[in-house]
Amino acid sequence: MKAMINSIISKLNTSDIEFADVRITITDYEDIGFENGHLRGYDSAMDSIAIGIRVLMQGCWGFAGARDLSEKSIDTLIKTAKTNAKHGSLFLREKVTFPKLTPSTAEYNFVPEIDPFTMSKEEKLSLLGEIATSIKPQGMIVHSYLSAEFEKQEKYYANTEGSYSHTVVYNTLPIMNVISADSGQIQSRTWPGHMSAGRGGFELLHKHEFLANTERIIKEATDLLKAPVITEDKADIIIGCGHLALQLHESVGHATEADRIFGQEISYAGKTFIKPKMLGNFRYGSELVNIYSDSTDPKGMGYHPMDDEGVPGRRTDVITNGILKNQQTSRHIAHLLGLEPSSNMKASFADDFPLVRMTNFCLAPGKGSLEELICATEHGYLLDFTKTWSIDDNRYNFQFTTEIGYRIDNGKITSIVKEPTYFGITPEFWNACDAICGEEEWDYYSTYHCGKGEPGQVMRLSHGVAPARFKNVNVRVSL
Amino acid sequence: MQNILSHLKDTLNQYPDFKYSASLTLWQTDFLRFYRSQTNYNISKESTSLSVNIYKLKKAYSFSIDNPTTEKIDAAIKTALNVIDTLPEDPHFVDVESDPRVATPRTICNNILAIPLEHKTKILSRIAHSVEAHNFELFGTFICNFSSTTLINSNQLLKTGSYSPIYLEIKAVHRESQVTVMETFGGDDFAAFDLDDFEDRLLQKIAYTKNPITDVDAGQYDVILAPRCFAEFVQYLSYGMSAYALDQRSSYFEGKIDSKVFPEIISITDDPMDHELIRRDYNSDGHIYETLKLIDKGFFRSFMCNSYYHHKTGLPKNGNSALCLRIDHGNEALDEMIGQIKKGLYISSLHYMNFINPKETSLTGLTRDGTFLIEDGKITKVVNNLRFTERISRIMENTLVLENRAYTIPFSDNYDRFDIQTVKAPHALVKGFNITSSTRTI
Repeated sequence: MKAMINSIISKLNTSDIEFADVRITITDYEDIGFENGHLRGYDSAMDSIAIGIRVLMQGCWGFAGARDLSEKSIDTLIKTAKTNAKHGSLFLREKVTFPKLTPSTAEYNFVPEIDPFTMSKEEKLSLLGEIATSIKPQGMIVHSYLSAEFEKQEKYYANTEGSYSHTVVYNTLPIMNVISADSGQIQSRTWPGHMSAGRGGFELLHKHEFLANTERIIKEATDLLKAPVITEDKADIIIGCGHLALQLHESVGHATEADRIFGQEISYAGKTFIKPKMLGNFRYGSELVNIYSDSTDPKGMGYHPMDDEGVPGRRTDVITNGILKNQQTSRHIAHLLGLEPSSNMKASFADDFPLVRMTNFCLAPGKGSLEELICATEHGYLLDFTKTWSIDDNRYNFQFTTEIGYRIDNGKITSIVKEPTYFGITPEFWNACDAICGEEEWDYYSTYHCGKGEPGQVMRLSHGVAPARFKNVNVRVSL
Repeated sequence: MQNILSHLKDTLNQYPDFKYSASLTLWQTDFLRFYRSQTNYNISKESTSLSVNIYKLKKAYSFSIDNPTTEKIDAAIKTALNVIDTLPEDPHFVDVESDPRVATPRTICNNILAIPLEHKTKILSRIAHSVEAHNFELFGTFICNFSSTTLINSNQLLKTGSYSPIYLEIKAVHRESQVTVMETFGGDDFAAFDLDDFEDRLLQKIAYTKNPITDVDAGQYDVILAPRCFAEFVQYLSYGMSAYALDQRSSYFEGKIDSKVFPEIISITDDPMDHELIRRDYNSDGHIYETLKLIDKGFFRSFMCNSYYHHKTGLPKNGNSALCLRIDHGNEALDEMIGQIKKGLYISSLHYMNFINPKETSLTGLTRDGTFLIEDGKITKVVNNLRFTERISRIMENTLVLENRAYTIPFSDNYDRFDIQTVKAPHALVKGFNITSSTRTI
């Protein structure tokens, strides 16, 4: 494969092409789903090969992708990518340019503890079946599902600057959910929440202790049917990791993707309230808030030794002591902003066009345990497990509902509330952060489903977070 | 590629205790994305993929293969044979689709070939020039897809459906204020695209943006929902009209068949026969796609139900999946509708909606791409984008007037293979729409 990709690059090393890169991905994928205790689907797609060729000609990007590596297909792709760039340049005002990088090479091979593709299928189905059976309809539970998605992706990358990388990674996404119903209303509980993916293999099923938590989600889903809603206008809230990862994702992660500053996502995902002049001086959050993008940490799904336009993996401090310092960038956008590229250009598969994407996007830990933070809260709510998420196209006004809220009185959890909903304005919210738990609570929470771009791509990425407290947040939404 | 399906069929027919279904899809897209009145990137993508479901009694195993060959199929079937006996059963599986009906043949034009990139950039250059005079720039996408799927199954089905949708979405954004307006074209017949009319409508919307920008407080407002908004609410509502949602006990329409659920002016049909919509011949199982009344003069009439849920729930099978929604228009002109509002809002487009509770149809979302204040029956100001928290059922109940014409609105399905669908909807006057906060931004 290395010889093939180098051969393609040699065909692109011509004087009319300013820059070009080629990616090839080979992906194995399995999705096993149980519904109400019964196997509903066992789907697999093995050895899915994709290739993408991107060229910069006359200052314009052209791209062609396919799922066919034949010589004929590759020649057609080269021709199509060049034609797309040439014709696209007929509708162009400012040419895409960026400085050259020193060529580099990288090799990375992740080995899971339990390879989901080579382990015994009986063993795999046995544990999944046991979990599915334990959550099947019972009492007020009227519906349940369990799903586990496994993915192995091998990627080859090369560009006309001479950079080359070859990586192999494994990702796994397990989740279970129960729905309870009574008197015309429904409630639901998931485990381990909507950010349950991670770098690794079948061992993640063990890590998340599904069987140890089935009883809990059944009880909580049942109890939620009779639980009250929050009635105050404002309250202090502690946000648990499973949901805080999404709060970080939506209101800081996407907001600091710098392609949005230039409107490259206006047609779909939206723009951002951030302007270039805010860099270095805008107070995004309280002094406690330190946020960074780090594609060098192999524990997260956002790890890579080189991104999809040849930039070596790196850590970038985006917010330091509450002040906005940097952005997630492509080489082109970084050049426009006078920044170093942050190694955030990624595509889901080789036949997708790379975009500015989050990698491992993290809130740095503070001090203390969650238990200590609850003890130090006179009155408030611990919210966790995302139910509804929504944010405006400037990433400024958000509203979230979690599956459950735990009411805190005098430093203790006293009861639960259903569908706790809070809303706010991004910088006001992060400035209301007065506590972040320490390293002992910090971990990665990851998703397969970050949608961006057109044609749409869903990216695998991670967020490192520890529970955090926010003061005086709007928690009342009249409906 | 017919030899691929023949090979698959011949191989699987060697196992008489197997049932199976398979689809072979050629999919292509030509995708021009632009920003600041210039090309962002041009993408051409193509894939051929085979999806196969194999059933042995009530045990099921599925696989898909990109760029399939007979060798890849043989290897995948070998794996399936090794796996399928080890799997637990799905007690609700009975049979694969058995509908023998074939859709009326129609000629499909491949719009990727019919609308070359040079033509697209010429159209965009002209519109960019027109809005430039008003200090606006263009952002958006101009997409042509082509897809052809052949379905076979162990009940001797052999059906092919092709379509080639076009999607043009243009957002005009003011260089300084960032005030945005949008115009779209969607369908499968580019002859229906009238560039002069498209440009006029976009410029008319730009004219509304000359008014000052203001903010409004949270509260209940009488609103005019643009066709795109009303269509999107109905798309979300249609989730509850699926047998899948009913089976999950998450349907608003549970126990409401033939009950009056909305005012008499609300009629919603899944109508693949409407020539102004992107038409579908079959659902993904191969069942013919036919017209289905969902809401008829306020009465809920049918759940959309495929073969699997037909066997599981006992509901009548119809093969519909809300891909061709049409909302009947009403009797009043848009100007008359706006004229009835003392103080309210005109909402052009919605953003990032998500259910809070699907059973109750409660959700939250935001306005986008042009929100305007209506005072004394006239559009007077531009309003910052707003958050709403509502129940779709209440929006339908509070719909007082529908415009006397309906528009074809294209939507992109961006989370799977890039797909395009259309909904036909009129403007709607809705009372008491629940605005819960302002974004304070445009």
